[in-house]
Amino acid sequence: MNKRILIVDDDVDIIEPLSLLLERKGYTIASITKGKEIYERVKNFKPDLILLDILMSGSDGRVICKRLKKDQLTKKITIIMMSAHPGADKDSERAGADDFIAKPFEVEDLFTILQKYS
Amino acid sequence: MKKIFNYLNPIERLGNNEYSFIFPLVANVALCILSEVYSYGIVHDPMAVGTYIIFINVAFIIYFSFRDGISGGIISTIITVLYYFYIIYNRPYDKTQIATGIDTALSIGVIYILLAIIIGWLKQTIDKLIGREANEKLWLQLILQQLAVGVIITDNKGRVLQTNNQLENILGIKLPSGYILGKDKHLIRRSSTNIPFFAKQSSIYQALKAHKSIIRKEFAMRRNDGKDIFVQVDSSVIRNKNNRIVAAASIISDITQEKELERQKDDFLSMASHELKTPITSLKMFIDLQTQQLKENDATKAVYYNERIRDQANRLKELTNDLLDVSRIKTNKLGLKTEDFDIAEVIHDIVESIQGTTKAHKIIIKNTKKQIVKADRYRIYQVLVNLLSNAIKYSPRGKKIFVQINKDKNSIVVSVQDFGIGISKSQQERIFDRLYQVSEPRERTYPGLGLGLYISKEIVERHKGNLWVESQKGKGSTFFFSLPL
Repeated sequence: MNKRILIVDDDVDIIEPLSLLLERKGYTIASITKGKEIYERVKNFKPDLILLDILMSGSDGRVICKRLKKDQLTKKITIIMMSAHPGADKDSERAGADDFIAKPFEVEDLFTILQKYS
Repeated sequence: MKKIFNYLNPIERLGNNEYSFIFPLVANVALCILSEVYSYGIVHDPMAVGTYIIFINVAFIIYFSFRDGISGGIISTIITVLYYFYIIYNRPYDKTQIATGIDTALSIGVIYILLAIIIGWLKQTIDKLIGREANEKLWLQLILQQLAVGVIITDNKGRVLQTNNQLENILGIKLPSGYILGKDKHLIRRSSTNIPFFAKQSSIYQALKAHKSIIRKEFAMRRNDGKDIFVQVDSSVIRNKNNRIVAAASIISDITQEKELERQKDDFLSMASHELKTPITSLKMFIDLQTQQLKENDATKAVYYNERIRDQANRLKELTNDLLDVSRIKTNKLGLKTEDFDIAEVIHDIVESIQGTTKAHKIIIKNTKKQIVKADRYRIYQVLVNLLSNAIKYSPRGKKIFVQINKDKNSIVVSVQDFGIGISKSQQERIFDRLYQVSEPRERTYPGLGLGLYISKEIVERHKGNLWVESQKGKGSTFFFSLPL
């Protein structure tokens, strides 16, 4: 196991408990609050999976997802998008994400999705 | 007939006004002078005039009573009778002739007046009938032209019969009557499909031509001047007595503003649900962590998680409070509980607690003098918290924030100054709008519902004070609010 997960969300109140929960499950976690930093972080952290918020201050998760999925080096990384926005599931599909989870989610449901990709 | 009548009637052409009595007067006097000249100067027979002048005068009376109503006839009659008396006393008549003359003059006078009354009455009745019809037409035109909605009436070939001013205002073009719908490709375009509004493919054209009624159909369109508008079209077919469709009448209303409000409302709802869901997500995760922690019996971590749970619950509470305040403002139920208190003290408390949430900013109170105000302590607290959290939120690079109390003659003014991103002139007008911040939910840059300034302004204004901003883009903003003393 020991999968490496990168969490991208502009809200630290989401990042903190999410990291704690996933770490307890045995995942290795890194997180960023600024979407712009993701390309740099992906290079040095080398995640297997990215949990990506769609609507962030100053950046758009959909744009990030498209760009990562186009790049030869990063397109193999599983991207799971998350959002509280109604209709965001379709946005994430269009952006080429592997999966989507709506906020607020049951922690168990998130684990089930993560299991699917391990 | 009417043309001939008008031609005969110079005053009609000059305008019928309070001086129109002059014409029968002048005409009758002229007739009398002419008859004098005729009888003395041309035929040299002072008796020659009498009989003829009666007939000519009758014609005058009929003419003037018909033209000017009773008054015209009476003026003619008076002049004529006066002239008879002049003849009676100035011609070589004997006493018996004079007596008969007076009798004749008086009876002629009475007959003339009766004649004037009957013709005048007839004339007035006819006038009323003609006038009513003319007035009704004019009245309908006036109403049509000034209606608040656009109107377009087309015949069954799609030709424009009638439009009004408002239609021109809404569409930004004039559709001349006789213009055939669907002919000009450069007219207004429907913005989504780029089909000209009245082109053959457009549904309004088809409805107008295919003679189907449309009820409340909405169209988005782009005017020639580039303005995007929404119009609502109601169209109904007009049938003649034989039940044949002869025309279509359409009402076109500009619903751009309503659409914009509707959009803002939808955006707001989706933003509100997004904002509310975020703390719930966080809460649920902390509760899960807490449960796991309690099972493992680590009290320090459990206490920390508890605090985080409380923070998130508070965040939810504040969001719901804002939503509630807005609905209170909308329904006019935002009551104030005023009391005397020291605003400097309240400012100190707030600054202390807000300073605790940020390390990047330094909040400095410039004036700490005690200042008693009569206001709702909780609501003023709310305004100050809002202004200070905005100052922090919109100066992401940190720096100083100044809070100041100033007193002038009738009021105290509190200001909160930041050195953050600032607000452009055009935005300054809109930041106090209810849903302003959330107008672009998909390009969100700063968190929050965008209700804070709207609520704060309402609170201050209910205290009979003012809330305003001075700002320069890129340099920072100063928000002021005043409270009357």
